Amino acid sequence: MVQLRPRASRAPASAEAMVDEGQLASEEEEAEHGLLLGQPSSGAAAEPLEEDEEGDDELDDEAPEELTFASAQAEAREEEWRVRETVRRDKTLLKEKRKRREELFIEQKKRKLLPDTILEKLTTASQTNIKKSPGKVKEVNLQKKNEDCEKGNDSKKVKVQKVQSVSQNKSYLAVRLKDQDLRDSRQQAAQAFIHNSLYGPGTNRTTVNKFLSLANKRLPVKRAAVQFLNNAWGIQKKQNAKRFKRRWMVRKMKTKK
Amino acid sequence: RSTSGAEPESARARGAGAERGEHREGERGAAGIRCVAYNNQSNRLAVSRTDGTVEIYNLSANYFQEKFFPGHESRATEALCWAEGQRLFSAGLNGEIMEYDLQALNIKYAMDAFGGPIWSMAASPSGSQLLVGCEDGSVKLFQITPDKIQFERNFDRQKSRILSLSWHPSGTHIAAGSIDYISVFDVKSGSAVHKMIVDRQYMGVSKRKCIVWGVAFLSDGTIISVDSAGKVQFWDSATGTLVKSHLIANADVQSIAVADQEDSFVVGTAEGTVFHFQLVPVTSNSSEKQWVRTKPFQHHTHDVRTVAHSPTALISGGTDTHLVFRPLMEKVQVKNYDAALRKITFPHRCLISCSKKRQLLLFQFAHHLELWRLGSTVATGKNGDTLPLSKNADHLLHLKTKGPENIICSCISPCGSWIAYSTVSRFFLYRLNYEHDNISLKRVSKMPAFLRSALQILFSEDSTKLFVASNQGALHIVQLSGGSFKHLHAFQPQSGTVEAMCLLAVSPDGNWLAASGTSAGVHVYNVKQLKLHCTVPAYNFPVTAMAIAPNTNNLVIAHSDQQVFEYSIPDKQYTDWSRTVQKQGFHHLWLQRDTPITHISFHPKRPMHILLHDAYMFCIIDKSLPLPNDKTLLYNPFPPTNESDVVRRRTAHAFKISKIYKPLLFMDLLDERTLVAVERPLDDIIAQLPPPIKKKKFGT
Repeated sequence: MVQLRPRASRAPASAEAMVDEGQLASEEEEAEHGLLLGQPSSGAAAEPLEEDEEGDDELDDEAPEELTFASAQAEAREEEWRVRETVRRDKTLLKEKRKRREELFIEQKKRKLLPDTILEKLTTASQTNIKKSPGKVKEVNLQKKNEDCEKGNDSKKVKVQKVQSVSQNKSYLAVRLKDQDLRDSRQQAAQAFIHNSLYGPGTNRTTVNKFLSLANKRLPVKRAAVQFLNNAWGIQKKQNAKRFKRRWMVRKMKTKK
Repeated sequence: RSTSGAEPESARARGAGAERGEHREGERGAAGIRCVAYNNQSNRLAVSRTDGTVEIYNLSANYFQEKFFPGHESRATEALCWAEGQRLFSAGLNGEIMEYDLQALNIKYAMDAFGGPIWSMAASPSGSQLLVGCEDGSVKLFQITPDKIQFERNFDRQKSRILSLSWHPSGTHIAAGSIDYISVFDVKSGSAVHKMIVDRQYMGVSKRKCIVWGVAFLSDGTIISVDSAGKVQFWDSATGTLVKSHLIANADVQSIAVADQEDSFVVGTAEGTVFHFQLVPVTSNSSEKQWVRTKPFQHHTHDVRTVAHSPTALISGGTDTHLVFRPLMEKVQVKNYDAALRKITFPHRCLISCSKKRQLLLFQFAHHLELWRLGSTVATGKNGDTLPLSKNADHLLHLKTKGPENIICSCISPCGSWIAYSTVSRFFLYRLNYEHDNISLKRVSKMPAFLRSALQILFSEDSTKLFVASNQGALHIVQLSGGSFKHLHAFQPQSGTVEAMCLLAVSPDGNWLAASGTSAGVHVYNVKQLKLHCTVPAYNFPVTAMAIAPNTNNLVIAHSDQQVFEYSIPDKQYTDWSRTVQKQGFHHLWLQRDTPITHISFHPKRPMHILLHDAYMFCIIDKSLPLPNDKTLLYNPFPPTNESDVVRRRTAHAFKISKIYKPLLFMDLLDERTLVAVERPLDDIIAQLPPPIKKKKFGT
């Protein structure tokens, strides 16, 4: 950080210097302890310490300095030039930083997209009519809205891209995720409808067990149902009983000893 | 329990689905039938199941399943139809219309109709247009072009989903059944001409919506509708009014099919009953006719979701996985065994393979494979006893397939160290290691792409070679060694069209490989020299089972019309025994069996014996004994012991048939004294099905 000499005279002080002067009190103490974080600040703390003392002495004893107009002007110009320089330097630094950042982003974006060869293949392959013969299919999330619009003109209905053999080993199926979700939910709704209408409430259905046992009921010597025991009854109770029995056995063994 | 039979001791291994009582639809065993479509020109029936499989049955070849397209988890077909030129289309809840290529045995393309799930599909009477009814209430018209289908236009959109469609025979109007109403559309304008409201309940009020499951449009303008209230209703399409209403069931009536002559139709109900309606004159000499319900048939236990009407028979299929053909007596010309009821329950190909050395059985299901080790017994007894097992059958492996596709075929090597299976897109090969009752599995990666969509897989007897028949017609030989494989050779398809039921058979000495699968006949290849050796002359019925005998290298072939041929491979001609059998002909009861022979095997020490089985019997053919003629009793389990030896010798004949194990899925000779038979009791199949309609029986 550029530091201006804080003079007792009316020299234009930069914003940073103002801030520093404000923080001088705290920084003096920190400098004594040697715990300052940044180098420039410590420098700032060091300088004004000496200057202030000198300035104070001068003010108390002697008359103010006599400055010629030219020197003052020169000094002022110098100050201005210095300020402009700083600003310019800052601007260029920022510009460079921004440039570097832009390049980095472009690099990353390029890395994210598929290599050009594959994109070429996709565009050429989508022109031909490819059979939907499933190879090792993977659904790749591609934003292919542009191509969708293109293909929309070819055949009225083919919006979903079904492309095959991008590379030798694997084949890809590019689908728009939005369409897939809609399709799945509709298919599920349709299956729910069928299930409800055939097996839902209001239908007169019986269980397979009862169906197979119907014959047993009408025999001259009645027999039990095909699945007579319900093994799923009272599972929790049975588990509790087993656990209790185990603990009781352990207790019994202990008291015996 | 194991039984000891007449000559060999046998151990009965129950089918894997037998012990579990859980209900998982389609998970174990066959899936229910969802749609059937009959093609009059070729006399073929296309059947689609709830797991997405589509099977084609050739009704002229003794109702044999000649082609199939494996299913897919996401494909739930709701409609199936034939269009002109033998083209098969299906549409389902995934919203896509699929065309099947019957020559190349794959799916040509799947076109999204963009209307949501598709509930119904109908081809126009001319066969050039296709109509689909969608979830969003739209009816879409597609034009069938020579290589694809093209969207033409939408009809007026209705409020609720279109569940059934029917064309008027002239192609000018369409009836569409929806929920609580039926609409009649004019094809040219696409607008709805009439909207007929269906009562929710016959003569009553009900809260449940009335779903019109099926409609049929007759040429005189009558629309027949069947709905979920159990009614069959006749409407007049010119005025849009109800003419007649029949209440035929307490549950839904789910399907309807009209004959081509429009004088009879058939409906199927959710209770499993199939009703036949006929147009009969009001009085014997009047010209006025009316529709009368004539015959009920109860061949199903669960919902009959689809029916079809061929010129001579009623075809029905439903959730209980049976496919029933009921020929109509008045339509059948010749009253022979052809007029009997045919029920297809069990698959027409073998889904179980066996490793004899390690006594393992590999069961193939739709999405997984199960490996079982057979139990054993140390007890002994006499013939016909059931012995207790000392060691139970062991479930060693449950191998789930990756992906949504069904497994097409699978095989385990005779030594038990390799398992291979194929789906439409991939081929899987696994290496098994056994250490002290533990089994570990390692997958062989990077299988070549040309092996996928295999129709049949077979290992050689010494487990060093793998033979794969692909659906392009090529036959691949892969050498297996250690944990890796090497592609040796590919036999390219010979002349003739490829058929789906491609069967392979390899000789125990590893020299010969027989492959059926083209219409040109069975080809026999020399494996050591990698060239075609000879071709068995073509027969007009498809091959159902094939095997090569040890030592003599005789190829035994069974066809779907129950003919069995024996062909000597080294001599390149039929054997003398085969010629004798052909000259005399088989016993008429043998030819009238209605399930095909699915497996043939041999006894290592008895070259005169051939063991074969179908779903309801297994038979040991003893070539040294005389052949039965039509007058002798074919099925004579135990010759009477009190008769004299002379009589016994006279009645003994070559075909020793046993029906003690049925229904039989698989039977093979494990070693000289052991036979393994896998049964699949019908009750077990029913236990896996969805719940049926409650039927009130008196006294329960």
